[in-house]
Amino acid sequence: MSTTMAPVKARRSTTEKEQETPAWQKRLTSDRAARIAALLSFFLFWVLISWLFLRVPGPIEVVQRLVDEFSRGEVFGNFGKTLYRFGVGVALATVVGIAIGVVMGLSQLGRAFFESPVLVGLSIPAIIWSFLTVMWFGFGDLSPIVTTFLTSVPFVIVNVAQGVRGVSRDLRDMSTTYNVPLSRRIKDLVLPAVTGYVAAGVRFAIIIGWNGVLLAEWFGGGGGVGYRARWWYDANRFGGFAAWVVLFVGFIVLLDRFVLDRMIQRAFRWRDASA
Amino acid sequence: MAVLTVKNLAKTFNVGTAKASRVLDDISFDVRGGTFVSIVGPSGCGKSTLLNIISGVEEHTSGDISLTSDSGGPARMGYVFQDPRLLPWRSVMKNMMYVQNDRSEPTVARCRKYLDMVGLTKNADFFPGQLSGGMQQRVGIARAFAVEPDLLLMDEPFSHLDAITARGLRAQLQDIWAQSKKTVVFVTHDVVEAVELSDRIIVLQPGGRIYEDITIDLPRPRRQTDPTVATLQAEVLGRLEAMKALSRTASEVAA
Ligand SMILES: Nc1ncnc2c1ncn2[C@@H]1O[C@H](COP(=O)(O)OP(=O)(O)O)[C@@H](O)[C@H]1O
Ligand SMILES: [Mg+2]
Repeated sequence: MSTTMAPVKARRSTTEKEQETPAWQKRLTSDRAARIAALLSFFLFWVLISWLFLRVPGPIEVVQRLVDEFSRGEVFGNFGKTLYRFGVGVALATVVGIAIGVVMGLSQLGRAFFESPVLVGLSIPAIIWSFLTVMWFGFGDLSPIVTTFLTSVPFVIVNVAQGVRGVSRDLRDMSTTYNVPLSRRIKDLVLPAVTGYVAAGVRFAIIIGWNGVLLAEWFGGGGGVGYRARWWYDANRFGGFAAWVVLFVGFIVLLDRFVLDRMIQRAFRWRDASA
Repeated sequence: MAVLTVKNLAKTFNVGTAKASRVLDDISFDVRGGTFVSIVGPSGCGKSTLLNIISGVEEHTSGDISLTSDSGGPARMGYVFQDPRLLPWRSVMKNMMYVQNDRSEPTVARCRKYLDMVGLTKNADFFPGQLSGGMQQRVGIARAFAVEPDLLLMDEPFSHLDAITARGLRAQLQDIWAQSKKTVVFVTHDVVEAVELSDRIIVLQPGGRIYEDITIDLPRPRRQTDPTVATLQAEVLGRLEAMKALSRTASEVAA
């Protein structure tokens, strides 16, 4: 009697695995599915909490409040105000942060000079700045702008300085042997090399900075998203409060996804071309 | 006229610490304008250190260096490194322009000319990452020539390339040099390469002294297949082997 044994295959090729995996399984294990699952579980969690606690507004109530605010004509004016303050603050933080970061990264002396102030800046929370600026500048646009700037600029500085210190020694030596002027070195060598760090810094600036703008508006009373959120809060209507928070958070997420991400990809075109 | 004069040059790394090491001991030589001089020596004997001191990237411990330019102004230097050292985020042409003094029309034309000479006219708008290693090195060579340097320094520019690419580039370098007649100080550990390219070979020995100064009096262009070139290569190689044997016994005696 003879038995024939089927050969045992040690490993399957990627093509075989690909073919054997059913389509539904592929879809369920995709990145996209993970993202949707995260959103969905957050949403369910929200619904659950709003059922359990009366004071927490549910999604439906928040959407209703949002629609109310739109129909009252409160949204565009206040949102525009906040956006303007936030935009100016973050833009200033980016420009000043890059400048100081480059100085700190290039010069030993610059680093010694700025290190402590930046450290102090990092550790002061937005709420302290918002109190101070309202005291200094009153209820106008200046308090939220300065608060946004002061809370976010240290993060840009730290990131940029770290990036500048990491610029290739070989390329710096090359620039020295060819006597390349400092301004050109910064423009063509240092800044492109730190693009990733600048992007990370600006992201931080945006995330930290919006705390600043909302807090300054909360205490300032010169209109804006923070002011409007407080108005509902003081009226003990948490739905309206939550509506404004959702609006602004949604805006920040979209800004990050569609504007910042695109800009970063554009700056790294040379990398894609090389691959 | 001497473009470069080096006198009693010495270099010690980490002066005054326990790690102090003397790399160059007492180096003196001068280089006349329009000549191609090679510095040859075993790996680790201080060749790159010497070039970096001449270029100003590294400071020297004692001795003198003087550089003269024909114009009387500060001497312009070109440097071809072991690796291409290009800005990865700038195109080939922008990399060439990065090291130029000005953005004038003649400067752009000069960059194009040298890019053409290394056969990369078509790649002017490529990013370095889109070129092969040999092509990147050619950009580095074109960049160095395009600044019209009073002194052109090269530090083992072909050692990272495969043999066939390296041979092609050596021939190309001979052609470009024949046309431009720049003053070149070329560092290599490869005697064969040095004989093929140079008017003169300075042999460095371990411990940082000059062992020998050899004049290479062969007609150009020199090709590997030429028997007189091969004979001289063998002879210089023999002398270098003798030096290595000598420094080996010296260090054994010292130990
Ligand atoms: N920055 C440095 N600090 C300490 N030692 C160094 C430094 N750079 C080079 N050296 C030492 O100097 C010697 C010569 O180096 P190098 O000039 O690169 O040699 P070569 O180019 O001839 O191979 C080596 O022993 C190396 O370890
Ligand atoms: Mg070397």
